[in-house]
Amino acid sequence: MQWSELEKEVIRCIKCGACQSVCPVFRELKAESTVARGKINLIRAVIRGDVDAAGAGFEERMSWCLMCKACQESCPSGVKLDQLMLAARRKLAEDKGLPLLKRLIFRLGLKNRRLFDLGMSMGSVFQGLVLRPAPGGKGMLPRLPMGLDMRRLVSPVDARPFRSRVPAVVAVDNPRKTVAFFTGCMINYVYPQIGEAVVEVLKRNGVAVVIPADQHCCGTPVYVNGDVPTAVELARATVDTLADLEVDAVITACGSCGAALRKEYAALLADEPGYAAKVAALAAKTKDFAEFLAEVGLTAEMRGLAATATYHDSCHLARSQGVRRQPRQLIAGVPGLTFKELKAPARCCGAAGSFSLAHYDLSRSINDHKVDDIAASGADTVVTGCPMCMMHIRDGMNQRGVAGEVLHTAELLARAYKDEK
Amino acid sequence: MEQAVVAAVKGIVGAEHVLEKYEDRYCYTYDASAVTAGKEGMPALVVYPGSAAEVSALLKLANEHRFPVIPRGAGSNVSGGSIPCAGALVMVLTRLNKIVAIDRKNMVAEVEAGVITADFQTEVEKLGLFYPPDPASKAFSTMGGNVAECAGGPRGAKYGVTRDYVLGLEVVLPTGEIIKTGARTMKCVAGYDLTRLMTGSEGTLGVVTKAIVKLLPLPEAKKTMLAIFDDVEKAAETVAQVFMAGVIPTTLELLDNIYIRNIEAAVNIGLPVEAEAVLLIEVDGDAAVLDKQVGIIARICREQGATEVKVAKDAKEADELWVARRSAFAAVSRVRPTIIGEDCTVPRDKIPEMVRTIRAIADKYNIIIAVLGHAGDGNLHATILTDERDKEEMARVEKAAEEIFAATLAVDGTLTGEHGIGLVKKKYLPLELGEGGMLAMRAIKKALDPNNILNPELV
Ligand SMILES: Cc1cc2nc3c(=O)[nH]c(=O)nc-3n(C[C@H](O)[C@H](O)[C@H](O)COP(=O)(O)OP(=O)(O)OC[C@H]3O[C@@H](n4cnc5c(N)ncnc54)[C@H](O)[C@@H]3O)c2cc1C
Ligand code: SF4
Ligand code: SF4
Repeated sequence: MQWSELEKEVIRCIKCGACQSVCPVFRELKAESTVARGKINLIRAVIRGDVDAAGAGFEERMSWCLMCKACQESCPSGVKLDQLMLAARRKLAEDKGLPLLKRLIFRLGLKNRRLFDLGMSMGSVFQGLVLRPAPGGKGMLPRLPMGLDMRRLVSPVDARPFRSRVPAVVAVDNPRKTVAFFTGCMINYVYPQIGEAVVEVLKRNGVAVVIPADQHCCGTPVYVNGDVPTAVELARATVDTLADLEVDAVITACGSCGAALRKEYAALLADEPGYAAKVAALAAKTKDFAEFLAEVGLTAEMRGLAATATYHDSCHLARSQGVRRQPRQLIAGVPGLTFKELKAPARCCGAAGSFSLAHYDLSRSINDHKVDDIAASGADTVVTGCPMCMMHIRDGMNQRGVAGEVLHTAELLARAYKDEK
Repeated sequence: MEQAVVAAVKGIVGAEHVLEKYEDRYCYTYDASAVTAGKEGMPALVVYPGSAAEVSALLKLANEHRFPVIPRGAGSNVSGGSIPCAGALVMVLTRLNKIVAIDRKNMVAEVEAGVITADFQTEVEKLGLFYPPDPASKAFSTMGGNVAECAGGPRGAKYGVTRDYVLGLEVVLPTGEIIKTGARTMKCVAGYDLTRLMTGSEGTLGVVTKAIVKLLPLPEAKKTMLAIFDDVEKAAETVAQVFMAGVIPTTLELLDNIYIRNIEAAVNIGLPVEAEAVLLIEVDGDAAVLDKQVGIIARICREQGATEVKVAKDAKEADELWVARRSAFAAVSRVRPTIIGEDCTVPRDKIPEMVRTIRAIADKYNIIIAVLGHAGDGNLHATILTDERDKEEMARVEKAAEEIFAATLAVDGTLTGEHGIGLVKKKYLPLELGEGGMLAMRAIKKALDPNNILNPELV
């Protein structure tokens, strides 16, 4: 791929500047080079020969993007910033040999005490994403999904990932529907309790759940950092595992996994012979947990919860998948619960997966606005549909001393079913 | 720029408010216009001053060391007004972002230059007040940039443009003096009207750091309607007729078939894709009289040949129409990737003739020109849809634009109604002003900016 091949998309940016009013990164850094218009024009400058793509300055600016798509949503010309950013990062990875994140960590991280500490504290999280051999004896993951070996930094994580705790088939009597559950890495390795809640709620509502053992990472973490070959392999593995299952739906409970299965695989696997139909079939079948439940309806009676809850729209759930109404509907339906909207519920929380590793301070200051909004809402429970957002918001609330719980939509519902109080 | 000067700049604003990296500076070589300075016009530094005093110190330094200074708000102007020249200092005013006061009793407000227009409007409206100027860029353009360009907007038909609301300014002159123009009063005739001189001066005569603006009571209600025509000239003809009937609509926007079709493709709200033109009309004010006004306008539209007149039932329908209107640009970028929005403005009764001329020019040069206009104030955005990579077509575009300008002036129009002259139309300005006019303007520039520091390439 040549830089010039990006030109077709790049020139669609009419440089209007509208993205300035929505870009969370620009809001913090203020420099034009950090907003979508600037990043696009830097790519344009590379094509024109005005800017050296091999320079650290260019690469760093390409890394200053949360892929939150807020700019895309409001761009009058419909410039696909995410596609441009991915293409640029891919090109950088190809030209420079190492995935973007890994280079950033080496360059910035290992010199930076604060980031090193973070690596330690978040290490257990990322180690889980990075190191697992594929269960089910089907071999190792093609490569570390993060493209980053953090073994040196961390102690082993929880030895019992979600998929080793649950049976491959969770049956119910007279099932209304049967679904497959794609757990993704975060749920499998870091938040098994979300997985348990998903299964619990589905079960109570008469839905049988199949949990294929040989699932992999969806590939998003490597994809967004420019390591396309690894992402393709992971995507193929996921499609192979899920596409032919005889189920009514494939359920995801992570915004990014869902977006990958439903939207991103089509482009990612476009050049893989024989995959188009399977990718389309999987995309059509995949549904977010909340979306699926809202569609089939809750049949089991809830005890309810005495809580004041608010909801954070994960970028990949709300913008990529268009799931906004359903989780709110489910949450508001919990007896005894009061629902309060945030001031800007769809503003990115700053996590953006590995972005928060590469640019920790920046991702914290973006998160501060979210935490401020949460504090102002008066809610004691923050609900969201993405484990990565949960982790980041929880960290932010902790650091800022804002009290309250952060739960996945599934966890909130599971509690509403269980609580004896 | 010499290291000593860079150090002095940092001393004034603080190192953290200075951008020096190549890639960062590069992103100030363009604005929302089709021109860009590229590598050849790289600014030496980009600075974010935090006060009028800092602006003043920077300008004094500039005079001492003779480097050009380019003021900038959001860089959303479409005339190339904030494009730097090599070695310039780009002065971004977005740190001056405080709404200093909203004085309800006197219905005036004082804002710093970097305040985003829509943010200001939101605050004002919370108090039941109204700041009418509404450039379509209001969600990101700054009050300072609006003053410098004398920005207008869809509401201009009834409410006028930025100039009509600016009562006074705090301006840092090119030589560094901080002056105040105008007053907080509704009337002020003390001395020359420097406020008006500065408003629309495109950052060549001074750096606006604060503005005192006039506010109105927030209109109680509004109604939105869509009149559909099978002939764009009939629609154009209707515009003057509406005003002649004694009704002043807030907004009277004309969209031609290219716009209608592409907007509909983008937002899918059931616009009449077969129509040759539509007029999007809004009236506002006392709820009791709105229906009467809508009735009069609807009757005139029908008399002029509208095939249908639809009044939005509720706020949701009205919103849809506005969303459609705002996505207009979006939509036409589907046709060809490069959009050049010309900004010729003619007396209202010349709109039909001008529409005809634009169409003829498009045919002659075999290019696509869509027409969208704030027709209520005679402002026609002849939108040239092209592809910047096609050099041969771009040459035809240039010729077509020239003919449009000539035709505009021939019917007593002006080269720009709201976007400004900037770099883009600089060479055509003498056509409108004549030699005497140019001399007078140059004399003013010379008097205020003897070393030609501020936006030197624009004049
Ligand atoms: C999508 C879109 C829609 C638009 N719609 C409209 C519209 O409806 N009506 C309209 O009139 N315009 C419109 N514009 C043009 C533009 O938004 C306006 O001209 C706006 O006023 C520019 O404000 P800015 O803050 O971006 O200024 P900039 O673009 O940064 O600067 C504009 C000019 O003002 C100077 N300048 C900026 N700030 C200052 C200051 N504080 N003191 C002195 N000089 C200064 C600059 O040097 C430059 O010459 C539109 C533009 C876009 C991209
Ligand atoms: S909103 Fe879209 S067209 Fe406008 S500057 Fe941003 S990316 Fe470019
Ligand atoms: S995706 Fe989000 S962070 Fe990236 S440029 Fe767009 S708005 Fe900014």
